[in-house]
Amino acid sequence: MYLDKKERALLGLASVLLGFLFIILIKAQGVAGSQVSLQETAVPSLIKTEQENQQLSTENEKIQQELLKYAQGQSASALLNQQVQEARMNAGLVALTGQGIRITLDDSTRVATGDEDPNIYLIHEQYIREILNALWNGGAEAIAINGQRVTTFTEVFCGGAFIQINGTRQMPPYVIGAIGDSYNLSAALKFYGWDRLGEFQELYGITRKLEVINDVTIPAGKLRDYQYAEPLKEGS
Amino acid sequence: MKRWKRNLALPVTMVAIALGFLISLQVQTQKNVSAAEQISAQRMIQMKAVLSNSQEQNAQLQKTHRELSERLDLARQQVGTDPQLLVHLKQLQMHAGTQAVEGPGIQISIDDRNKKVLFPLRTDDISRMINTLKLAGAEAISINDQRVVASTAIVLSGSSTILVNQVPINRSEGIPYELTAIGDQETLLDYFSKLEAVTLKQNGLTVSIARKTICIPSFKGAYSFQQAKPWDALIE
Repeated sequence: MYLDKKERALLGLASVLLGFLFIILIKAQGVAGSQVSLQETAVPSLIKTEQENQQLSTENEKIQQELLKYAQGQSASALLNQQVQEARMNAGLVALTGQGIRITLDDSTRVATGDEDPNIYLIHEQYIREILNALWNGGAEAIAINGQRVTTFTEVFCGGAFIQINGTRQMPPYVIGAIGDSYNLSAALKFYGWDRLGEFQELYGITRKLEVINDVTIPAGKLRDYQYAEPLKEGS
Repeated sequence: MKRWKRNLALPVTMVAIALGFLISLQVQTQKNVSAAEQISAQRMIQMKAVLSNSQEQNAQLQKTHRELSERLDLARQQVGTDPQLLVHLKQLQMHAGTQAVEGPGIQISIDDRNKKVLFPLRTDDISRMINTLKLAGAEAISINDQRVVASTAIVLSGSSTILVNQVPINRSEGIPYELTAIGDQETLLDYFSKLEAVTLKQNGLTVSIARKTICIPSFKGAYSFQQAKPWDALIE
């Protein structure tokens, strides 16, 4: 195909223009994309700092109040005892009672036949962990499984036929007691996997029971020794 | 102009019209994009201002906190508080997680952004890993600088944001997940590499474990007991 000079020039111009347009378009797209991700990273760190600020200011307030009490000449030991009592409560070393819920989980009475997987008839450690997670998320104030208080160090570990909790062997049925707002606790449970356990109940006959109780009692946890961890010095 | 071929007139006209149309469209888009860019930039600036403001506040609060703590220590010394009781208080606060701690331990870095990874790390995986660390006798655990306490819930918010202690822990740069645990390094290493690292690596995740002196921040959330009352108090 033969093109004369003018036509060739026209064609060339058109191509250059088109290329130019494309580049602008791509650039515009790229800039818009990167901005969004930058914004996304800022949000979590903002939330974190804000939360820290809140905690720091409440802590500062507490210290100031304490200082004030010292200045007023209050008994130092009474004050310290009060703090110790509060810390014991937070650490889960005080037996508690209050409104809450009780969950009962038990293995199915059926026995696996033929090619069936026997595991579907059993209560597994991850069910219990999921329920604990959901309950804490629902604002539980204290939880115990089969009389074992769930503290910072409580493991829920499958050891074969039993589940190890706080270093003790627990067998089914597993009774989980939780103190907290029973409506919030039930709502949180339904959000996380409770219905799936209901399906297992219908299909395989495991036990899954939820009761709202006015006086759940939760035993005290045990204080553990620290061999490795040391309190971090203030200001370091 | 006589040299123009007749049969070329129509296509050239059409191309010219199309080009004109494109250019005007591009100009329009460019305008929109630059407007969007401006808004985005403004938002970024605002966000940065809010963030830096809150960070400034944080630094200020931390400074006050240090000063107040020093004054408190001094005041306690002056009124002659029982040092043994103070140690006991610290221990309780370590148990509750409200005290930052340091000590020997392990740092686990997990990267799930690899191309080989079929499923990125889920909340279940994180709770299972933490459970394993508890089983190994960890004295303090944190994930992405969030202290793990009894009431720590690990939940998914939306499609990919993981909340620990109600705070998003997702990171956009660096290593996505960093778990730290204080305790007996050999036991922690042994348990974690045998029970967790093997399966994680099989799923294509990059896992590295390092022995280190670990600093674990305090729990930034708040303990509240609204339903729960001490049980002993009711009996007495």
